[in-house]
Amino acid sequence: MATRQSRPSWTFRRAVAVTAAAGTLFAVGACGSSTAAGDGGSSVGTPSASGSSGSAGDIKGDLHILVSSADASDAAFRAINEAFSAKYPDVKVDFSSVPNDSYPATKSSRLTANNVDIFVVKSLVEVPEYAKGSESDDALLAEGGGLVDLTNEPFMKDYTPSVLQAQAFKGKQYMVPTGLSYSTGVYYNKKIFSDNGIDVPTTWDELVAACDKLEKAGVTPFGIGGKDEWPAGLLMLGSVASLYPTLDDKQQLAKDLWEQKVKLTDEGPQGVLEKVAKIYSYAQKNFAGTGYDQIPAEFAKGDFAMTADGTWNEPTIAAAVGDKFDIGYFPFPGSDNADDNKFLNGKIELQLAVSAGSKNKDAALAWLGFFSDPANYKTFVAKSGFSSAEPNIPATDFLDSIADYTSTYQPAWDQVWTANNKAGSQAVYPFNYPAIAPMGKDDAAGAAAAAETDWSAAF
Amino acid sequence: MANPSPTFPFPRRAPVRITFGLALGILTLFGLVPAVAVLVVSFTDLRGLPYIPVHWIGFENFIEFFSPAHWSDNLNALVNTLIFAGASTIIQIVFALGIAILLNRKLRGTSIYRSIVFMPTVLGVTVIGLIWSLMFNPSGGPAAEILGWFGKSSAFLGDPNLALALVTGVQIWAIVGVSVIIFLSGLQAIPHELYEVSSIDGASSWSQFRFVTMPMLSPAMTANVLLGVVNALQSYQLTYVLTGPSNRATQVLSLLVYVQGFGGKSGTTLSQSQGYAAAISMVQFVLVGVITFLALWYLRKREVRL
Repeated sequence: MATRQSRPSWTFRRAVAVTAAAGTLFAVGACGSSTAAGDGGSSVGTPSASGSSGSAGDIKGDLHILVSSADASDAAFRAINEAFSAKYPDVKVDFSSVPNDSYPATKSSRLTANNVDIFVVKSLVEVPEYAKGSESDDALLAEGGGLVDLTNEPFMKDYTPSVLQAQAFKGKQYMVPTGLSYSTGVYYNKKIFSDNGIDVPTTWDELVAACDKLEKAGVTPFGIGGKDEWPAGLLMLGSVASLYPTLDDKQQLAKDLWEQKVKLTDEGPQGVLEKVAKIYSYAQKNFAGTGYDQIPAEFAKGDFAMTADGTWNEPTIAAAVGDKFDIGYFPFPGSDNADDNKFLNGKIELQLAVSAGSKNKDAALAWLGFFSDPANYKTFVAKSGFSSAEPNIPATDFLDSIADYTSTYQPAWDQVWTANNKAGSQAVYPFNYPAIAPMGKDDAAGAAAAAETDWSAAF
Repeated sequence: MANPSPTFPFPRRAPVRITFGLALGILTLFGLVPAVAVLVVSFTDLRGLPYIPVHWIGFENFIEFFSPAHWSDNLNALVNTLIFAGASTIIQIVFALGIAILLNRKLRGTSIYRSIVFMPTVLGVTVIGLIWSLMFNPSGGPAAEILGWFGKSSAFLGDPNLALALVTGVQIWAIVGVSVIIFLSGLQAIPHELYEVSSIDGASSWSQFRFVTMPMLSPAMTANVLLGVVNALQSYQLTYVLTGPSNRATQVLSLLVYVQGFGGKSGTTLSQSQGYAAAISMVQFVLVGVITFLALWYLRKREVRL
């Protein structure tokens, strides 16, 4: 029979239960604010335009850096961070690098929680008149005042003026360009080429002939990392680079597509897809299941003779190949006219911006100043495989070997094109390379037709 | 102080009220409030970044979801979701029932078999994804080796015709353990006398299964079907880890939400609006709600009949 009086042991047990419940609640609530507690030592920054000129003693606190990940650039950033911490011992640098696919989510949550100071911005470009309403998130962020204006910072003078001009947003500078990289070239195995008597192809016909010759000799001509989808897109960028060689050609194509004067099933745009489909037929079996990270190892084993990749991956490929054979790099020759295939197209690599809500702007600007200092930038460029965005920085041997192809900076198609949110997903690039077999289920004409349906449905 | 009554045999109601209230409070704060917030957000153009102004745009997100431009993507995602959910639920329940009946006998080492069957549920999604990505590696993985004995090869997860089937298979492997446990407990609650009586009356094994086991398992069946359906309609973690978020062959509705809300494809300038993502998840909520309600109504009717 239960008594109405509370026995001492019951009171004790109840006290323990309530304390445990309260303790759990508190621990759960405190989890999310642990980073805030860590910022206790930072100097509350009044926005200072000359923050980078502060002496090593003034700059202290926590500095949070968020970048999107790539093996070579991660190693380069870590080297810079070590040197920075040696010069500014009172700053604790918290560096995170996140894979490309999850980068937007991470950036969004960290900006909302306001615990990131320096981060990579993507597609911070002014959209042309015809595409108003399709600004990227980072462009809206800059317009809304979420990024610190870096135009008058002293360290911006270290950079090449033409690069700064290419990345200006509404006349102001919001980001630091960490380098340039080129995306429309093809790495090739020099030994396989010389064994089979093949020269570097400079036109489309020469490339097709070379691939046929390699197939006859029992060598797979191309390697593509199709599982991640975007490596196959580098072939698309290469085709566009040769079929629409100058910046004006590309801008005109973008404008015509948006204004519906050119259809994706017309000869020019469909030609891009036909070239991509042809290269798919020369690629290794089941390349749709091979990941991008496996390609350097398989290239080093000699599984295939060529692979379309960017200059950012050169350190990884060179490390995988080692001494086995020499590698070379040439622009993707998508045109029948050798003059159109002369230049590599590229992009400005990771662009770093400072969040306007940053709790430690002094340290952020000091870090960017340290990074831009030619003495330190030199180490970064050497380790990361990027081309230099500053003048008079000695280039690696590899970059010297392709100097002819990069004498004029040509932005690649993905830097010129503005995607339309209102169109279907098959018209994103807008050349529908993922739909071509074996990545998808169509041939080039079918993929182009599907893209055109999705594109025109937006108007 | 309340007197003990038949329905509540304890002298005090305060402990129940306090603990229940705490739990309800946590559930409301972390479950109900975000759900209502998503409903509100689906009527705005929220971008998920600070400093960007937010506007109330009414039903525009829903209109855009059903617009002709997005319709082919959405239909593709819907069809993938229904195939994935339907196939994985039905097949895993059939397997789970078979495994549970086998494990219910007195074999040596039943606890080892049970651990093996339940182990995939304990592994995290990332571990499962990594294991099966390596298994299905087309250049040298175990599955490629086995296919090689038959002289064939395949791109496995990269092949658009195979990808959904493979992902469904991995999903079944991963969740069959939970269903087995539920069925096992249901089977062990069936009194032995029923089997003895029915075999005295001349029932074969199959008749015993149809007329003794299945009816007595109805509650467990209801639980499994409901859990399975609701889970499978919303599940996207495995698809994301195995084939990525924007692979057209395996994109399910939840992944459409993920891509719109948390990142367009890398390498594009597609801008994301979390308001639109919230609208898609509202549509998914209605879809899941309708299907669950229908399933629950049918199963309850079946239980009552028996």
